[in-house]
This record gives sequence, structure tokens and C-alpha cells, in this order.
Amino acid sequence: MIKNYNQLSSLEIDTLREIGSIGTGNAATALSQMMNQPVRITLPEVRIMEYNEAIEWIGGPEEVTAGVLVKMSGDIGGIMLSVQKLELVNVVLNAMLGESIDGYENLTELERSAMIEIGNIMISTFINALSGLADVNIKLTVPAFAVDMQGAILTVPMAEYGGMSDYLMAIGGNFVCDGKEVPCHLILSPDLRSLDFLLRKLGVSDD
Amino acid sequence: MIEQKLTVGIADMKLLQGEGTLITYALGSCIGLCFHDPRLRLGALLHIMLPLNMEAGRTHPLKYADTGIKETLRQMEAKGASRSRITVKIAGGAKMFEVSGAGLGNIGQRNIESVHTVLKRENIHLLAENVGGTVARTLLFDVASGQGCIRSYGQKDIIF
Repeated sequence: MIKNYNQLSSLEIDTLREIGSIGTGNAATALSQMMNQPVRITLPEVRIMEYNEAIEWIGGPEEVTAGVLVKMSGDIGGIMLSVQKLELVNVVLNAMLGESIDGYENLTELERSAMIEIGNIMISTFINALSGLADVNIKLTVPAFAVDMQGAILTVPMAEYGGMSDYLMAIGGNFVCDGKEVPCHLILSPDLRSLDFLLRKLGVSDD
Repeated sequence: MIEQKLTVGIADMKLLQGEGTLITYALGSCIGLCFHDPRLRLGALLHIMLPLNMEAGRTHPLKYADTGIKETLRQMEAKGASRSRITVKIAGGAKMFEVSGAGLGNIGQRNIESVHTVLKRENIHLLAENVGGTVARTLLFDVASGQGCIRSYGQKDIIF
């Protein structure tokens, strides 16, 4: 019987938390290489939340953020989403291009590419870590990019699997770079069959 | 007097009668439906996420266009609304991301089609719509006048 998010055991949730921790750790390393300066991540939290709770967690529905989204296929099907707040974007833009932005209006092509690259690096290093840990093959699509109200961005993975689940798995932590702490939010949304398969491969599924 | 303002979440619906505003935030592929019975000054705002309810237990009727619309009509009729007077305005159904190759199902478009079909089947007049595109919408609905307002990022407000 395939479990829903709210039916996971504490061992299973701990395992997902561990994946979140290793995955974001790898993402911090990759970001550090891209920016050529040290980046570390504070202990990330993995949360399983109902839709409306997830939107409050990320800071309310109407705040505008940049979202980078990829679709996973192969052994694990689903969506991974990186939600980038302005603080994070600016730390990277500062390191790479020596500039910062006040908002998402009138982005240059270069700024846009940099944002897609941030998301792409975070997602692909995270997924690499996950594939290694669970010994699974995951293919990723080319990243898609949107700047809009974060509530609407978050509902994309929700709607895609909304017929199966009322919950969303979110990983949040802070990157620490150059004395600044900036928030990092990743949403990992495997379909339920893939979540089940993943937990089995990791050897923690209790049935 | 402070004007009543009620927020409607995702997969949620609220009714309000007399004066006041119903609001739902950041509709992406989801659709917001403003139901109005002008004689009673009764309004309902429904925020659906998916086109069709195929859940075995049907524990979340408001998450889906078909069961959400039926449930809203049922609650309005329980307050004395008449189906012949009820009108609906809808907003949402956008496509937030363009994923190449093995893309996402276009849930926004499917939501729009399902809402159209269900409203027609229930004999409810669709008065106005602002749907599709690629931009998120926040929807405000004044229950006294039946007027809707759409707020989007980087665009002028739309009154409908």
C-alpha cells in the first residue's frame, strides 16, 4: 500500500530530513564554486505541510520571487522547484557580476541567466546527491523559469500531484556567505509511487 | 463600520452576504469563481485546484471544479439563493512554467474547460472571465455589487 505524506513514520521522515541535509550541503558547495567564495548552509529543515500552510511558510502568497522548476523522470518521477528570494539572488549576482537588483522588473538577459543557473545548480546537485544515496537514476528536464507571486509558483507541484496528496515536502535552510544569511527554499515533489520507491531503496520503508 | 474582508484559501470556499469583500491570493493554474445572487446580495468565492474529483473518499470536494461548484451551489441555495439568478465570474487557469519536452500537463487549461462544462451542466450563467495566459492573479470580489478585481504582478488592476 502506497503511503501518503501524512502517513510516514518518524524513521522515514528522519531519512527525508537526512536527504535534505546532504542535498542542500552539496548545493552550498556548488554555489560556493560558482561564486568562488565560501558558502555554507545552516541545518536545513524538512517539512511536510498542507497547501495553505506551505504558502505561509514561504512568506505569504503575493510576494514576488523567482522560481526555477524541473521535471524528474526515470526511477523517480516528480517535480523539483527552487524558490529564490531577492536576498539570495543578490548575493550571487554580487559575487558573479558585481551588481545587485532592487526587484525583478526589467531583468537583463545576463541576470535572468544567472538566476536560472542558481536554481539549476541547486536542483541538479541536490538530485545528484539523492541519486547517489538511493542508487537511483533520475533524469531532469531543462529548467523552466518564472517570476511571479510565490503562491502561484508553489501551486505548480501541488496541482500536478494534488489528485494524490494534500501535502508538499519543502526543504528550507539558510546559506551563509560573506557574513550574510540568505534563505534557500527547495520543494521536492516526487509522485507518491516514487516516494514509496525511494523510501524502499533507502531501506527505511517499514512494510 | 469596518468592512468585512474574508480570505479564501486553496481548495476553499467562503460565503458572504450584504457588504464585504472576498479575496483569494495568487491564482496560478487554479481558478477562482465568484458566485453572485444580486437580489440577496449573497456572494461566494471558490478556489479550485483541479478539474475533476476522482478521489475514492471524496474528502475534499472544494479542491475540484466539479464537486466544488456543486457544493457551493448547494450552500447558496440553502441560504435561499435561486439558480436562475446566480451568475458566475471566473479568473485563473494560467500556465506558470513552460517545461520543454516531457512537459507538465496543462492543468490551467483543463481547469478552465472543466469549469465551463460544469457551469453549463448546472445551468449557471457565466457572466465574465479572465483566464489563461502565464501570469498569476489575486482575485477580489465585492459581494454587494458583484464586481470582481484582478491584481497581477507588474500589470494594471482589471475590474470585471
